[in-house]
Amino acid sequence: MFKKRKLLAVLTAVAMVAALFAVSGGASANTYWQYWTDGGGVVNATNGPGGNYSVSWYNSGNFVVGKGWQYGAHNRVINYNAGAWQPSGNAYLTLYGWTRNPLIEYYVVDSWGSWRPTYNYRGSVYSDGAWYDIYHNWRYNAPSIDGTQTFQQYWSVRQQKRQTGINVSITFQNHVNAWGAAGMPMGSQWSYQVLATEGYQSSGYSNVTVW
Amino acid sequence: MEGGHVVEKKRSWVLAALVLSIAAAAAGGCASGQVSRAEQADRPAAALKSDDLVFVEGGTFKNAKSNYYGSDIIVQDFYIGKYEVTQREWTAVMGSKPSRFRGDNLPVDSVSWYDAIEYCNRRSLLEGLEPYYNIDKSRKDPDNKSEIDPVKWVVTINEGANGYRLPTELEWEYAASGGRISKGYKYSGGNKPDDVSWNWRNAGEKYLSGGWSWHAIENNQSSTHPVGRKKANELGLYDMSGNVREWCWDWYEDPDIEAGLYRVVRGGGWIGDIHTVEIAFRGKFEASGIGPDQGFRVARNADQGTAG
Repeated sequence: MFKKRKLLAVLTAVAMVAALFAVSGGASANTYWQYWTDGGGVVNATNGPGGNYSVSWYNSGNFVVGKGWQYGAHNRVINYNAGAWQPSGNAYLTLYGWTRNPLIEYYVVDSWGSWRPTYNYRGSVYSDGAWYDIYHNWRYNAPSIDGTQTFQQYWSVRQQKRQTGINVSITFQNHVNAWGAAGMPMGSQWSYQVLATEGYQSSGYSNVTVW
Repeated sequence: MEGGHVVEKKRSWVLAALVLSIAAAAAGGCASGQVSRAEQADRPAAALKSDDLVFVEGGTFKNAKSNYYGSDIIVQDFYIGKYEVTQREWTAVMGSKPSRFRGDNLPVDSVSWYDAIEYCNRRSLLEGLEPYYNIDKSRKDPDNKSEIDPVKWVVTINEGANGYRLPTELEWEYAASGGRISKGYKYSGGNKPDDVSWNWRNAGEKYLSGGWSWHAIENNQSSTHPVGRKKANELGLYDMSGNVREWCWDWYEDPDIEAGLYRVVRGGGWIGDIHTVEIAFRGKFEASGIGPDQGFRVARNADQGTAG
């Protein structure tokens, strides 16, 4: 719909404009969950106990499944175990969230399928046992939690896909610090912060527990 | 309607034509039964008159949820549009159809602040009013510090002119919060956002719950809705919360953001999260920005507001 608009066609091309949504009001990432698809293909998502979710997809359109917190925090350590991560095609396993004032959409991508996202390179950061490349991107006249806005995206993308099937952590503060050093400060108000699976015209299966 | 009265202005031939077209549309209206959303969008609201303005008696801010409650700011009397500017009104004045969603009684969307300024002046001229704005397109506004805005027209005001204009941010918030007869609502006209606004949860096929999600909104066929279908606020103003965001005249400014980067947008629309439809939420957007949730309503000075 909106993404097909002529005006947007000439704007920044983002292969996967993620909006992910499972949110929790509490300290643990297990209170709420949601998933969304654009109706393409087959997507079966399951809201598991606690912070667990699973999703299988086949020839999907665009979908997002995840769990997390209603309010993000710069010093949160996000723990998760991707017991299964089997994408075939374009998909991300990513921490995702927003801040306001200024409006920032951010990603910490730990694994992906066929395409590793890259934008305007701003450096690298070592965190949780690996290097992540930092990218910056502008989104012009794009949908956001504040309505249509022109805003920045911050990305940390792991240089190598992360091992799955074990307990791992994302020390978000490391990314916040590195983004800040790269001239990419966070906003003063925190909105959603979730660990999620996003797929785009692909197939696969993932089973993730977040805490 | 309390606290305000509709100004019966002299109608230009353009607006007479608008009224006639509304009457014609009503006469040829749909039979009872279900109608599609597209048909609904073309069907005028029962009381809709395209040139309705509401008189707002000035004063201090009475609504404790307002950003200006308790201040000594006094807003002067003014007139403001009962509805957001519709696509019928826009096309009659401008001749164009910029909106993402199509329907005569839908609010115009996808218009920049500059577009809204031009509309005000052209409508003023069509109605024999003195244009409120001076627009110089040959120079770049030195006060405009945006790196994103490529337009940067120099726009100044004719302070005493009787023509159409955008509301100031103070006027917008005063009107949205109910003016002198405010009942202290969080949203314009109520404390439940769905009673008074088209917002991201209720603007599509299904009611959306959970956290804000663009995917959910997009997949739900969410859109703008015909103006005037939700409950009016204390002053009889519709859609001050939700539907489309509304341009105000002012530069956006706060302790972290200097003036000259954004123009103020207020009221939230069908895309943003619920907080954006609160009367106190201060939105901002580059003056050149456009989006399918971005429209406006007009205002006029009160001292000469009925001239025409």
